[in-house]
Amino acid sequence: MRSQVDFHSSIGERRTVSAWPATEACDDASLVNAAQEGDRTAFGRLYERYARMVHGILLARVPFSEVDDLVQDVFLLALGRLRSLRDVARFGAWLAAITRNRAHDHHRRSRELTESTEDSRQAEAANRGPASGEGNAEAEDILAAVRGLPEAYRETLILRLVEGMTGPEIAARTGLTPGSVRVNLHRGMRQLREKLGRPDPEKQEPGAGSQESE
Amino acid sequence: MKDDYLWDGSGECDPEIRKLEMALGRFRHDRPTPRFPAVAEAARRVRWWGLGRAAWRRVFGVRPLPAFVTVSATLLAVGVVWLVLRQSKRTPVSLVQRPECDVTRLAGAPRVGSKAIGEGSGAGKLAVGQTLVTDSSSRANITMQGFGEVEVEPDTRLSLLEAGSAQKRLALERGTIHAAIWAPPGEFVVDTPFAVAVDLGCAYTLHVDDSGSGLLRTTLGWVGFKLDGRESFIPAGAVCATRPGTGPGIPYFEDAPEQFRAALAQLDFPAAGAAERSAELRVVLSQARQRDALTLWHLLARVNPSERGGVYDRLAALVPPPPQVTREGVLRRDQTMLDLWWNKLGFGDIGLWRAWERSWSQGENHRN
Repeated sequence: MRSQVDFHSSIGERRTVSAWPATEACDDASLVNAAQEGDRTAFGRLYERYARMVHGILLARVPFSEVDDLVQDVFLLALGRLRSLRDVARFGAWLAAITRNRAHDHHRRSRELTESTEDSRQAEAANRGPASGEGNAEAEDILAAVRGLPEAYRETLILRLVEGMTGPEIAARTGLTPGSVRVNLHRGMRQLREKLGRPDPEKQEPGAGSQESE
Repeated sequence: MKDDYLWDGSGECDPEIRKLEMALGRFRHDRPTPRFPAVAEAARRVRWWGLGRAAWRRVFGVRPLPAFVTVSATLLAVGVVWLVLRQSKRTPVSLVQRPECDVTRLAGAPRVGSKAIGEGSGAGKLAVGQTLVTDSSSRANITMQGFGEVEVEPDTRLSLLEAGSAQKRLALERGTIHAAIWAPPGEFVVDTPFAVAVDLGCAYTLHVDDSGSGLLRTTLGWVGFKLDGRESFIPAGAVCATRPGTGPGIPYFEDAPEQFRAALAQLDFPAAGAAERSAELRVVLSQARQRDALTLWHLLARVNPSERGGVYDRLAALVPPPPQVTREGVLRRDQTMLDLWWNKLGFGDIGLWRAWERSWSQGENHRN
């Protein structure tokens, strides 16, 4: 069992030393409680668990070049407000709400479109992400297509396809029900296929109607 | 659904989804965990001196830096903080809690108390207990550090009730405000004469007329609206009225059919008799679209017991309830079941509202 010890201190901050098992045996509530008491190591563990969710929610709404800075902003804001969170079991949903709020504030300040259109696809192309190349251009086109989907679908699909989170993980982190996540993934994928001009496997199979469980 | 691979990566690999994962994976979050203990405290000071994110990046960077650079930058920030604190004569506590908000004139001459904020007079302050008033030609903007902004329309009168680090609370006596909030849910609250609006994230317009009647319109996120035991949740694209003596009404989407909205208005603030009410309810149920599940969910708590079964049946047809929710439980208004069904509608996690509600009630008990 590995221990993580952090001796850093700053102005007015209590020194807190903690040893956390490296396994997922520590549930979020324990980490949030500890972080509320000033344990920065516990908050660092929360960052490790939720950074992809925050990153994905932001990527669904703001230019790629702005996402990393905003991830930092969100966690700093959450750190400063953590003591106001009464129901620690809602940390994920609370953090997701802060993230969406922050994205909206960013848009309001930068006066950019939130819904992807042809114009914004061109603007998105101007915000180059990783190293350029033909494959990257196709990836950016795909990302722009995902960002053009309805909000619920684009966010869930980005968490799944970009951040690599599974459906159960998305539900657990964001506070959405597994059923809602599954529907968002399924319907979002169908709309994405249409946008990308790719065949829908369900329509290709004779007699296979919608089999959505909800 | 034949989408196990999309759902959790199990089952037969879908080659198209796999291609999408490979293409989009380059955008994945890949930054290491920041050094929060040394960064957070100093970053808070940096922000309040208006240096902003650019300075944050210059001082702390986004990518990991060599240790000596990180330590040097931290010491520099600490030094800046110490010097400013020493020179400003303000205590760290007063920096943490600013009991006032900044007020900027947008047009005319808005007043805070007896002091007008005219052209060229610079930004004003709105302190706890003070009232901001705009006349027919004035507009103002209230900035709440770390919370968001409130744009104040002409002919508006509002007061600042709380301005702590964990909550900002206004009282809107009359007029119109546009709130854009990026604080965590439940931290920005507006009292109106007949309901309390709680931001759950993050943009809305609120209007109160001279009679105290109000209208809340959410443009982003969702807002909780409450008076005593009556609560309404208004997601983006929806509106909700509030009336004296009644409190918040039933929210509805503005793009709902006109007949639907007209019938709902009769149910919400009724002036009609039982026969007419029954007819209005039939119109609402028959005209409801899937997204009007918002309205029907609220109706469950607002209709008579004899009417509730019909509302349940229609809502269940539009948005089937989760497995834990039973018809019998809903008909007796089991709050746990109603909350589970609300979360299924997908407008927001009601747990955030319940958590705020508990803390607000505890605060009220302490104040009383």
